Amino acid sequence: MRLSKDNVLTLFILSSSIVLVGYFIYVFIGWNVLISFSDWVGLTPRYNFVGFKQYIDLSNDPVFWSSLTNNLLLVLLFVPGSLILGLFLAILLDVVGTRGEGVFRTIFLLPFSLSFVITATLWSWMYDPSLGVLNTILNSFGLSFLKSGWITDPKVALYCVILALIWQFSGYTALIFSAGIKSIPETQIMAAKVDGASGFEIYTRIVLPQLKSWVLASFVILMVFALKAFDFIYVLTNGGPGYSTYVLGLMMFIYTFFATHFSYGAAIATILFVTVMLIVIPYVLRVRHR
Amino acid sequence: MNLRMKRNLIVVYALLIFFAFIYVLPFWTSFTTSLKSKRDIIYTIPIELPSSPTLDAFGEAFEAMKIPLLNSIIFTSLATVFSTVIGSLNGYILSKIRFKHSDVVFIFFTIGIFIPYQSVLIPLIMTMSKLGLYNNVLGLALTHTIYGIPVCTLFFRNFYEDLPDSIIMAAKVDGAGDWSIYKRIVLPLSAPSFVVAGVFQFTSIWNDFLFGVTLARGSEALPASVALANLKGTTTAFWNIQMAGAWLYALPVLVVFLLLGKYLVKGYLAGAVKG
Repeated sequence: MRLSKDNVLTLFILSSSIVLVGYFIYVFIGWNVLISFSDWVGLTPRYNFVGFKQYIDLSNDPVFWSSLTNNLLLVLLFVPGSLILGLFLAILLDVVGTRGEGVFRTIFLLPFSLSFVITATLWSWMYDPSLGVLNTILNSFGLSFLKSGWITDPKVALYCVILALIWQFSGYTALIFSAGIKSIPETQIMAAKVDGASGFEIYTRIVLPQLKSWVLASFVILMVFALKAFDFIYVLTNGGPGYSTYVLGLMMFIYTFFATHFSYGAAIATILFVTVMLIVIPYVLRVRHR
Repeated sequence: MNLRMKRNLIVVYALLIFFAFIYVLPFWTSFTTSLKSKRDIIYTIPIELPSSPTLDAFGEAFEAMKIPLLNSIIFTSLATVFSTVIGSLNGYILSKIRFKHSDVVFIFFTIGIFIPYQSVLIPLIMTMSKLGLYNNVLGLALTHTIYGIPVCTLFFRNFYEDLPDSIIMAAKVDGAGDWSIYKRIVLPLSAPSFVVAGVFQFTSIWNDFLFGVTLARGSEALPASVALANLKGTTTAFWNIQMAGAWLYALPVLVVFLLLGKYLVKGYLAGAVKG
């Protein structure tokens, strides 16, 4: 390559970004793995190599297993919940079309645009057992037998978290699916109508099969979120009551920065990283080839 | 429209209104509560309007959050500007200049978008303390700029891919270099892309909690997100103050959402489909 002034500038711009991102992401990840093989506890960094000790300790730690189980429940309930509700809302919006679609879409998308700290604050009021929204509404409709401790009840707390997260994300998945529906050529729908297909058949036979790549994109985004969830749960329940709403991202944060067990936190972070990458890398490679 | 279609449409509207009600409920009860006195919170139920509305809760919440709000405004603006500008430069290189391994660089950046930040948190906090940028608004600006580079690069790469190569070829034939083409042709066409990337970055940096709570805990660099969470953690801040605080912290994003929602939606979709 002839090093003209332009080429030097190009090289400078790109290499400084690569150095910054390379250092702050890739080197840091390696560094974190290194810490996870040490026995660093307390505020002073310590790099005594102890092999897989932290990982072995984790495998014997019931908090780790309940966090992992809760992440799994997020994957099994939050991900399909947001996909199905989003798809349902997108279809409703498509039927309505120009006769009001915009207003409803704005309402459904509002929670997604706000910080998890805000939505967690709103839902802590919804779920507050004494004065909060849900219990007082149930009371005034004479349904007080349905009242619950919500996020203060270890049996239902996680489901409260999941429900609120579906509320926050389904407007977003609805947006993605709407874009998918709009990308289907009008002529295909027309042709099906001429052939006498009902509205229901048009959606199941023509629209749904063509949303595959859109479903995949939302699926990856939701999965990654379900694995690394932290802020919302930290603010709403702080993992409680007990460990009933602990997830890996939260456990990492609490063990690292409150208990100053840095090597242990680093091991959790490494596990989290590997799990997320198992989903992301195949997806990125696939998207690149599209 | 025949009778059956009309009936179906009514059912669809009813469902949409039902869901809209559920979506709005947390906002509505937060709004009514933010206008209540402590007494009203106990004697009225959350969905009711206050018997005597008051802005006292907003006053108290503002007192607790004014400096954090200012901190957030500073680092969010700085990081939004820097990350979008860097993203535009990189995006231009990856889409229009191209080179031997641009494919590898593309994957290098794309994976950076998805990594769970927990896996960089400990080295990040160590590096920032070493640089003297722990508990520092500029440290947060730097952090958000760097972690914003991957997504902004991808945004602009995709925007510029859609620019026809023919305009650039024409300028090349006239003897213009890569960067004079960028300045004269590409940059003036980038205004809408800057709005999309800028709005996306502004809201996600403003909404961040994880970097804020690790890099600026309980100090003068406190971001608004952490200040609101702290408000919730204290027993002295009753529900009305928490809700007022939530609205204060939400305000800039609400303004963006209502005025520039079209661009925000484009950012959400660009983030979803291609990377």
